[in-house]
Amino acid sequence: MLSESDLPLRLIEERAFIDFLGPQDEPWLRVLLAEMARFEGRRRRELAERLSEPLPCEAPYFKRRAAARTLLRLWRPESGSTGPPGSATVRREPPSLALRPAELRARLFTAAAASEAPGASVVDQTAAGLGIAPALLLESLFADLPGERPVRAPDPRPTPAEAALRINLAIAQAVLMRASRIELRVEGGVRPVVRLAKLRGLLCTITDGDPAEPSRPLLEISGPFSLFRHTLLYGRALAELLPHLAWCARFELRAACALRGRLATVSVESGDPIFPAAPPTLFDSRLEERFAHDIARLAPDWDVIREPEPVRAGTTLIFPDFLLRHRIHPERQVLIEIIGFWTAQYLANKLEKLRQAELPVCILCVDEDRACAPDDLPPGMPVVPFRRRLDAAAVLRQVERLTGAADSKAA
Amino acid sequence: MRLVFDRGTLLFDDLTDLPAGVDICQIAGVLWDERVGGYRAPARLCYAIVSELRRRGVRIGEQPCPSLTPPSGFRPLQLRPYQEAALAAWRQSARRGLVVLPTGSGKTRIALGAIASTRTPCLCLVPTRALVDQWTSALAAVWDGPIGQFGDGVRVLGPVTMATFASAYRHMARIGDKFGLLIVDEAHHFGQGGRDETLEMSIAPLRLGLTATPPAPGPAARRLASLIGPLVFERTIADLAGRYLAPLERITWRLTLDPDERREHDALWETYRQARRAFEGNHLGGSWEDFLHQAARTDDGRRGIAAWRRARRILAFPRRKREALALLLRHHRTQRTLVFVADNETAYRVAREHLVMPLTCDIGRAERQAVLDRFRAGTLRALVSAQVLNEGLDVPDAEVGIVVAGRMGSREHVQRVGRLLRPGEGKRALVYELVVEQSSEVRQAERRWESLAVRERSAA
Repeated sequence: MLSESDLPLRLIEERAFIDFLGPQDEPWLRVLLAEMARFEGRRRRELAERLSEPLPCEAPYFKRRAAARTLLRLWRPESGSTGPPGSATVRREPPSLALRPAELRARLFTAAAASEAPGASVVDQTAAGLGIAPALLLESLFADLPGERPVRAPDPRPTPAEAALRINLAIAQAVLMRASRIELRVEGGVRPVVRLAKLRGLLCTITDGDPAEPSRPLLEISGPFSLFRHTLLYGRALAELLPHLAWCARFELRAACALRGRLATVSVESGDPIFPAAPPTLFDSRLEERFAHDIARLAPDWDVIREPEPVRAGTTLIFPDFLLRHRIHPERQVLIEIIGFWTAQYLANKLEKLRQAELPVCILCVDEDRACAPDDLPPGMPVVPFRRRLDAAAVLRQVERLTGAADSKAA
Repeated sequence: MRLVFDRGTLLFDDLTDLPAGVDICQIAGVLWDERVGGYRAPARLCYAIVSELRRRGVRIGEQPCPSLTPPSGFRPLQLRPYQEAALAAWRQSARRGLVVLPTGSGKTRIALGAIASTRTPCLCLVPTRALVDQWTSALAAVWDGPIGQFGDGVRVLGPVTMATFASAYRHMARIGDKFGLLIVDEAHHFGQGGRDETLEMSIAPLRLGLTATPPAPGPAARRLASLIGPLVFERTIADLAGRYLAPLERITWRLTLDPDERREHDALWETYRQARRAFEGNHLGGSWEDFLHQAARTDDGRRGIAAWRRARRILAFPRRKREALALLLRHHRTQRTLVFVADNETAYRVAREHLVMPLTCDIGRAERQAVLDRFRAGTLRALVSAQVLNEGLDVPDAEVGIVVAGRMGSREHVQRVGRLLRPGEGKRALVYELVVEQSSEVRQAERRWESLAVRERSAA
């Protein structure tokens, strides 16, 4: 992550504005990338030293520093290379005996400690014993250390436009690293974000329901300890969410970040030029994927909607796995929730949330193999047990029964 | 009522049978958490809260308590009188507090004594991976039980577990309810806000901090006291020198720059001073960090910072220091010598020019251990390091220290000097300081020794 002193930011009163790189920065980025290409195969330390100096063209100071740090991470050490640039391994004659730099160090420095002779002759003697030139011995001495290893450009090499997006992401993430909590108004594709946040041990709550915009809930994402003070404990986890937001239809993120000794509010929203994460997978598991395929084949009159809009339940959101909606009678709809590992307490909480959400009809599909005890299943709840594969026909029978019952009740 | 450990915090559950008049929110540290609709408190307050609730007549059905098997079966531990005294002072302070002793005086032994006498699951926090290994070896010498480790890709819990600060910071939300005793080596790293949550997310009521360089009185010291406990015992180099630590002799060698180096240094320093003056004109009393922030915003300021860096690079290892170092290494070639430089780059230069083995953060763990073993055995006579030798690492019996340059100020200096103080038959530790005349190094060197002397005097 970038350090605070590398960030192109403007702090105005209690707000901070990120100076994202854009098309206007591509000319100097092109020069920077060309400069980095010149150092391919040379020591990482040399590249880092070059990048700490100005470019031969005008470049905004903070943006250039952020760019240099971000791109330097993409230039990786050549794999398996432990020799100095230009000679990948240190070999003595015959070439079948290769020595690692750590062994060279052990031999040379031990010999120096044991000898009264001047340093140069110790180097000559050690090199002669190894069958290599003294210059090569000295050159190879630290060739395995991170700064001394030759660097390789990423393949494919980033274009200036792609580099700008990557640098922007690094800048925005470095800013969010200094947040204790974020507020997120998001539309479409919220499930993977909430899922990732929960995996990282964060709390996701709805702080403010907006009845006018039920499809754009306002989420607050924070960690348990954020309650007590502005902690940076969750900064990394919060920053990790950012590239995944690029796959939401629309989002606005606001966070109070500790910058230059004070708290300043930062906003990032859809359209900001940041590098996206890999697209989210459509299904969480092979089981879900197979079920979606089976039910779509068995029920041609029903639309199978994967990840329908989240449903608010108290201060949290419920993300049903599937919604089955009749194509001709769209009022006939059933939510389907697939539950893998579960406990009685987990099911009780889940049912409580479903009750709060006032969902019309919901079918629980529970894994019999991973249950705590059969008696824990809630009475009166439509349940389809399964083992390894979910029986789509059984689910469809329940759907028909429930929506038929709903119809007859309504009638 | 139930108290549940939740990711480094305590959640209050099942509040239905609270006695009349008891308001949970009035208990120090407890806050209402709107996000979960419940009360929450930092885990470190667990035992204080339980005790307060009981005092108010609240029945607690369940509370977090250390869940690992307590360690037992320690072999008898021989402690020096001052180590015994430190342990006794810690016990008297309800087994919470900070012990301040010079480097090389055996702080780890006090920690082992605390673990053996407390017999509760214990988590030892140390700054580096090398120290995890060192502590593990020290513990294995007095105890045969399973030793857990968190860090360096290993995540194994044991009745006594070692963890690096970084690893504990990442994982305390999961393991904070497993231990009853926290031992914090180099405890001065905490109290400044950075990673204090590590200590806040543990329920451990018993805490022992160890350091040679406690924070000066002020907010950091107060914070450290609230996280670990008060200062319960302190001894200085002067207290222990002679019998338990080797006596120390300091030699400052003032050197000049060559004319070309002097010209370049002075020109660079002047550029820096101009930037500094411009800053001070607008920000009276501004800190160094403020200067860096402000200077980075203007061309002149950036030139000033770059000039300051280059001037420091010249001072770090000019020709005269190279010659002096060669002379000293030759003079002490039969003695174990540690060379301290400002950065890894200089360490590698010294290694190439003087054939001294470098010990830097880049050198892998196995090689580092092998190097220390060879140094102990005497097949290596000198080591050069920028920072690795600064803190904690148990370096065997070095007699001579050569401080070529430093970057971290007086705390670094105390730690470096401490590397040489392990006692030996007739041993007299010798510290050379190479200082460039008419440069910022003169004042820095004076300050380093002044702060050491002040600590000695104030403790006396």
